[in-house]
Amino acid sequence: MENIRELFIEMPNGESSTHIIIENGNGHFTSMLKSTYDEMLAAQSTPIDTEDE
Amino acid sequence: MAAGLGFKTFNTGDVLSAADTNGYLMQGVLVFANAAARDAAITSPQEGQCCYLKDTDAVQTYSGSAWVGFDDSNAIQNSIVDAKGDIVAASGNDTPARLAVGSNGDTLVADSAATTGLIWAKPVASLSNPIVNGGMDIWQRGTSFSSPNTIYVADRWKAEGSTPACTVARQATGDTTNLPNIQYGLRFQRNSGQTNTSTVYLYTGVETANAIPFAGKAITVSFYAKCGANYSSSASALGYFLNSGTGTDENPTGSYTGNVSVASGNVTLTTTYQRFVFTGTIGATATEFKIGFNYTPSGTASTNDWFEVTGVQIDSGTWTASTAPTFRRSGNTLQGELAACQRYYMRLTGGASSSNYGIGYAYNTTSAAINLRNAVTMRITPTVLDYSAIGLTVVGVNNYTITGLAIDAGTSGNDYVILLATGASGLTTGASYSLRNTSNVAGFIGLSAEL
Repeated sequence: MENIRELFIEMPNGESSTHIIIENGNGHFTSMLKSTYDEMLAAQSTPIDTEDE
Repeated sequence: MAAGLGFKTFNTGDVLSAADTNGYLMQGVLVFANAAARDAAITSPQEGQCCYLKDTDAVQTYSGSAWVGFDDSNAIQNSIVDAKGDIVAASGNDTPARLAVGSNGDTLVADSAATTGLIWAKPVASLSNPIVNGGMDIWQRGTSFSSPNTIYVADRWKAEGSTPACTVARQATGDTTNLPNIQYGLRFQRNSGQTNTSTVYLYTGVETANAIPFAGKAITVSFYAKCGANYSSSASALGYFLNSGTGTDENPTGSYTGNVSVASGNVTLTTTYQRFVFTGTIGATATEFKIGFNYTPSGTASTNDWFEVTGVQIDSGTWTASTAPTFRRSGNTLQGELAACQRYYMRLTGGASSSNYGIGYAYNTTSAAINLRNAVTMRITPTVLDYSAIGLTVVGVNNYTITGLAIDAGTSGNDYVILLATGASGLTTGASYSLRNTSNVAGFIGLSAEL
């Protein structure tokens, strides 16, 4: 079961960014910028092309 | 005309008799300028007489009623060829046949389905196979996946098989009869007992740089596939599709900008690997494409409700299953294929409890920036990171647990990344730390630059 949380990370230059940390189970994690995660969700919400539009 | 006597050597003093003259000397080939000259000179030709006509370079013999050419019925006749470039082949035992000249640039290819067993065909495309990991050699993320929900399984291959619950796994083909020595296939199996019959998908996308060479071209997709004994798809069908788009490096999941269906259909699987092909023409303005397979299960899954696929390849030109070029990896060698895959995803697996991945420094008391050199130049700066059992350490002094690991997008590149390890406690700002496995041999770091 996936466990998803947001993580604010302060970077060496003093700025911060928002990342998504996904716990995939078995101690495996996936992280990405929140903007990347949102794009991924948008792509998955559309059925894959197998025919013409 | 008397029959010839054979050959005789005349010696000094021999008497030339009429019989010798008729039996030896008159048995030669008579030479004439043409047939008219011959007929004027020989008004009563004798059966068996021979002549040579200089105007046509023909040797003829008199049959008793007419002068006829030396026509060996077993010789290849001039009339068999009709045009420049025609060649003489055979349609069967002792059966010569004409094969008309091909088009400029064509090469001769054996084809058992053709009348002469030969066809003229365009030369094998010089374009590389754009399907990276078409031979299912590389599985950096693992070799078995339970209910993959739109994730990469084998490198470059994405699976949608969470509903129904499925297992996608690498399989050794063990088949040197029906496959050109391809070691692995990808098995997509509906788990036994599953009753959900939603369609499942397996697909891969071709990035713009590799897709553009095929724009405007007729292409052939070839692949090998087979099914399990309990494959539940109606009529043992495996669906295939090839869609193009006009965007740049779009995620193959979902819909392309300017989506066009280049080809789609079904092939009928058996429990033995067969090679299949489908063809289409990529649009002139296409800048990306994806190919994939799907099947819609039925009923309740038994223990062998699966299909396997491998040897996926795209060639320019139109081919049949028997004439399509032999499968070749996109990266040619296994090492080349791995590098081709690492352009999109690179996993570092230390393999030891103390494996170190990179060194960096703490920029505050809870976070460190770690430098990591990529194995190859990746497609873009990696955007997604996956990891397990990773922590910070000062070797021999202390280990530090972290609560998050992320790519610093602002300072990373195609060749290297800066990983931000956060959530540690008690780091010394400015001190050096290394990123390593947390006493777990299964620790890993994966960088993704996928489409």
